[in-house]
Amino acid sequence: MSDGNKDSGRGQQISSKKSRLSGGDDFGRAIAKIAVAQLCESTGFHYSRRSAIDALGEVAVRYICDLGKSASFYANLAGRTGCNVFDVIQGIQDLDSWRGFSGASGVQRCLVNSGVVREITQFVSTEEEIPFVQPIPRFPVSRMPKHAPSFAQAGEEPPGEHIPDWLPRLPDPHTYVHTSVWNKRDTDVKADMVELAKRRRKAERSLLSLQQRLACNGTAGFRPTKDGHVGNGNQVVNDNPLLASPLPYGEKQVSEIASPLKAYSGKRLSVLETFVPVIKAAKVGSLDFNTNERKLLHGIRPTVQFKVGTVKKSVAASLPSDTLIADKDSWSLKYDEKDDKKKRAEIIFRAAIDKPHELAQL
Amino acid sequence: MNSSSSSSMGGEGRHDDDSGLTEFLSSLMDYTPTIPDELTEHYLGKSGFHCPDLRLTRLVSVATQKFMLEVANDALQHCKARQAAPVKDKSKQPKEKRLVLTMDDLSKSLQEYGVNLKHQEYFADNPSTGMEPTSREE
Repeated sequence: MSDGNKDSGRGQQISSKKSRLSGGDDFGRAIAKIAVAQLCESTGFHYSRRSAIDALGEVAVRYICDLGKSASFYANLAGRTGCNVFDVIQGIQDLDSWRGFSGASGVQRCLVNSGVVREITQFVSTEEEIPFVQPIPRFPVSRMPKHAPSFAQAGEEPPGEHIPDWLPRLPDPHTYVHTSVWNKRDTDVKADMVELAKRRRKAERSLLSLQQRLACNGTAGFRPTKDGHVGNGNQVVNDNPLLASPLPYGEKQVSEIASPLKAYSGKRLSVLETFVPVIKAAKVGSLDFNTNERKLLHGIRPTVQFKVGTVKKSVAASLPSDTLIADKDSWSLKYDEKDDKKKRAEIIFRAAIDKPHELAQL
Repeated sequence: MNSSSSSSMGGEGRHDDDSGLTEFLSSLMDYTPTIPDELTEHYLGKSGFHCPDLRLTRLVSVATQKFMLEVANDALQHCKARQAAPVKDKSKQPKEKRLVLTMDDLSKSLQEYGVNLKHQEYFADNPSTGMEPTSREE
């Protein structure tokens, strides 16, 4: 509702905020308010309070509804469903009856000559027309629901004879029987085979390298390591010693106590501290490692210094073929007790873990 | 047009009735009521009034308009009476020509037509607003 439609202005209003309960009838009420405001202006009012206009619009709507109800009541009383002019006249008489109109007391009277009709006739003839300011569309606008097409409309034959064709058609079978799913992935068989062969080769390579490393670690001091580090082959170098396979008892001499002393004596404080008694003994007499070892075994056992680093060592290329064969023999001799296949599985598993490390070497 | 269910008049009366009715309804069609037809049809349909004839719809609109004008006129009378009562001697102007439709006037005029309309003048924050300070609990 816009104020521009009404010519009457709005006065100052002392009204509080009321919560608007918006019903579905807002449009009709707004139209009624506009019409009523026009009527008030034609009467002579310059301004109006908004609440007064609201109330008057509500009264107008109620009047129309009551008139319609009375008219339909009279029509039903006469055994009809459609109302005619006399029903309406009687309805108007009901609404005005408390106020009285001329000719109300007459029992037998024609409705056409009733007072209300005369008043209305007089009203129509004397009052000037005040048409509504804006053309309004027919309301309420009802939306037609979309129905599913029937068999006849869709041009389909009903699946059974017992189904008439004016019934709505059955839904598509993909909605209730089976929905086909298409595999979006392109399966290139050749590429898959190539990929598979590649992976297999990788696994075999890593297994081989692991075997070689185990062999070189296993045989004490025999294998010449090409890493360039001074020291015995007993040094556990460039490999994660925690993941190495456990050696049988007595196979490996615990001579590592001596090697750190030999290599790093005097270079690191921690080593110095640990090996103080050994150094003293060395100063005193000749270096007898064996005796020292035995002595030290009873005493403090120093920490083993592991050298863990990225050492470039080509495992496959460095070893000559004959040594490789010898490797295998010694290796197979060692692991006679365990199941060969089971061992392989373990190795492959460890190789898989080791893979990123080995790849750097290879 | 449906046949009239008029009570006991002679053939002449009926003839007069028919003509009177026809004239009445034709005169209705000339007049365009302020209340639009669409609005009237909407609310009549809501209340069970079924008639495809436009003239009846116009009749209902005209009756409603008549009623509204009578109410508005009565309210105007009340407003003018209110303004005329206190005469200010200071202002030389006869009267203020500002006519405002207020709820007071409207409720008074509607009271005569059988509609009880009461409007709350103000809204208070709590029940003790506006009470005398002595009676208010603090």
